[in-house]
Amino acid sequence: MHFYSILERKRVRNMMVKYELKRIFTKRMNRLLLAVAVLIGVVMSVFAVTSEWYVDSDGVNHETPDAIRRLTQDKKQWKGELTGDVIAQIVADRQKIARDYPDDVPDTVYGERIQAYSDITQMVDSILGGDEGYAPDALLGITTDQAKDIYSIREQYIEQLIQKYGDTPEKQEFLRTQYEKTDTPFYYEPADSWDNMRLYATTYGIILVVLIGFLAAGIFSDEFSLRADAVFFSCRYSRTRAVRSKVLTGLLMATVIYWVGMALLSGISFAVMGVSGFNTPYQVDSPYCIYNMTFGQLYLIILVCGYIASLLSASVAMLVSAKTHSANIAVCIPFILFCVSPFIGRAMPFGTFFQLTPDQLLNILNCARDPYIYQIGSMVFRQIPFVMLFYTLVAAVFLPVIYQCYRRYGLKRR
Amino acid sequence: MELKIKGLTKDFKDFRAVDHVSCSMGQGVYGLLGVNGAGKTTLMRMICTLLKPTEGSVTWNGKDIFKMDASYRKVLGYLPQDFGFYPDFTVQDYMMYISSIKGLRPMTAKKRTETLLDQVGLRKMKKRKMRNLSGGMQRRVGIAQAMLNDPQILILDEPTAGLDPNERIRFRNLISELAEDRLVLLSTHIVSDVEFIANDILLMKDGKFFMNGTAEEIVSSMDQAVWSCTVPRKEADRYLSKYLVSNVKTVPGGAELRILAKRSPAEGAVMEEATLEDAFLLYFGEKAGEEHDGEV
Ligand SMILES: Nc1ncnc2c1ncn2[C@@H]1O[C@H](COP(=O)(O)OP(=O)(O)O)[C@@H](O)[C@H]1O
Ligand SMILES: [Mg+2]
Repeated sequence: MHFYSILERKRVRNMMVKYELKRIFTKRMNRLLLAVAVLIGVVMSVFAVTSEWYVDSDGVNHETPDAIRRLTQDKKQWKGELTGDVIAQIVADRQKIARDYPDDVPDTVYGERIQAYSDITQMVDSILGGDEGYAPDALLGITTDQAKDIYSIREQYIEQLIQKYGDTPEKQEFLRTQYEKTDTPFYYEPADSWDNMRLYATTYGIILVVLIGFLAAGIFSDEFSLRADAVFFSCRYSRTRAVRSKVLTGLLMATVIYWVGMALLSGISFAVMGVSGFNTPYQVDSPYCIYNMTFGQLYLIILVCGYIASLLSASVAMLVSAKTHSANIAVCIPFILFCVSPFIGRAMPFGTFFQLTPDQLLNILNCARDPYIYQIGSMVFRQIPFVMLFYTLVAAVFLPVIYQCYRRYGLKRR
Repeated sequence: MELKIKGLTKDFKDFRAVDHVSCSMGQGVYGLLGVNGAGKTTLMRMICTLLKPTEGSVTWNGKDIFKMDASYRKVLGYLPQDFGFYPDFTVQDYMMYISSIKGLRPMTAKKRTETLLDQVGLRKMKKRKMRNLSGGMQRRVGIAQAMLNDPQILILDEPTAGLDPNERIRFRNLISELAEDRLVLLSTHIVSDVEFIANDILLMKDGKFFMNGTAEEIVSSMDQAVWSCTVPRKEADRYLSKYLVSNVKTVPGGAELRILAKRSPAEGAVMEEATLEDAFLLYFGEKAGEEHDGEV
């Protein structure tokens, strides 16, 4: 009997969620917006796959969708560990080219030699730039011994960074531990598709998050805007299970839209561009990064953070619409949280503090480059794990509040 | 089966919309009759747990309905005056959605939806979007959704408002059909809606019940008689300002008036049988459909 009734409850719940979802997806306005979002996803994929160019050994420039695959193929000759000797070899070659062609490097030389190791010369320039970041052509001024010792140079800079960003012993200790975890010499495999997609996933994430906020705002305000509240609240489970189902629907909707959207964008893009470089450490791009992750992992973190932002967007929009009985303010809130707050943050004096605002969830590609660390008591933490954990909790904490807000409708005595 | 209302009062800020209303209802059709603004909707919203009373209580079989909460709503069906729906849902989806909120099992919901759409004559419309139905059809969906959970208490707030005369009649028949074995409370400001189908009529004015009983009881409680007389057209105005006139008909040689008065208002006036319509005029006076119409 008990088992049976649990099964029954589940069935009824599934039906509530099914029709609640159906309501979202049959609304004309929502359908239009979803169609636009799909279109943007496809267009962005097209941009992503055509954004690379490839110069062949005859110096001819190609901008076709297969350019990135040919580029990757070309770069793969340097795949493997970037030992001091490899670096020295590349630096020597690059210096020779600079000597041979002091004014302008011919396209043929670029296509034949420079292009293949351009990631690595960029990495060396970044290492040599230290905290200042990428120092263009810095490698032209170093000796072969310095090139061989590139990782020691990096370590010297790391020591400076630890002093600069570690203003307490705990922070210094923390930074040192992170840096020690990074293996040198770096492993290299061309990661252009991942590199490329960071920006597109971030941008598309912002679009999806705002869309999700918009759709979620309707879940708890449609009854009022359509004056269907009287029928709804006179139904048996209107103040209990139906409210929980609405909350669940919001989360499901956010999940489905976000991951389908991202699957679309990533699916098209990676199918065309290939997935080479998933395991390349992100330090090849950003040698002083305090996160030990690969290009592929960074991309996944960007996706997961976007998902957290989607859940937060849905839960805030549901909360505000359940409270105000209207979607008007609710649809603006995700927009303010994720799109406007960075501009306010930048204008404020507490720069570091504003690196913890929710918009950072959609700014992981920049966060990964910056050594933002925080300390509470003796605990030191980094920016990305903090925003991930914190905003997941915030989104979760809102859920019971939404439930309580909505179910109390009409129960004031005056 | 007993719905008992005791001292029920609702204040909106400093305006009292329902004022210490009491009554007890069992099986049968109850007509709640009153002009716009009388407080009918407010009263019904309280009975449907949509509004918490400022004072007083509503009990179902002895238990407070707000304490019963979901278990009370399980036996409740409500068609609000302002029947709002989800325009992009088809009729069937709408019915299924409401079924789910009512906690019906999917199989039961499907069967009930079929039966009810048959009953309200919308079987062929079930794949239509709600927004594409006529006003009358939308109302019929409204009544069908109220019936989904086979409620013991059926509350219908002005179910005939905005319908054309033919649809009105259809609707009245439908309601009588559905009323079996239930408590039906139906509000209206139109006498003919309840005259024949309600066993009991509750007259409501300024938030209070001031009379209840069968149509006959209410008619016989009138302390004035109904007279019919024909007067010259010039004099018609004089009668209209002096007496309560329930009907004016132009006839050759003047106007035929239906007048409420204790004594014969004119020579040759003939006493007529009073109707509920006349009682409504007497008790609600000139208010009927004038002063408050615009407010609601
Ligand atoms: N939410 C509200 N806030 C303030 N006044 C209200 C509210 N609802 C109804 N009223 C007022 O209460 C009175 C009774 O309204 P209502 O119950 O709708 O009457 P009826 O249904 O008989 O036409 C009206 O004067 C109306 O303006
Ligand atoms: Mg009303």
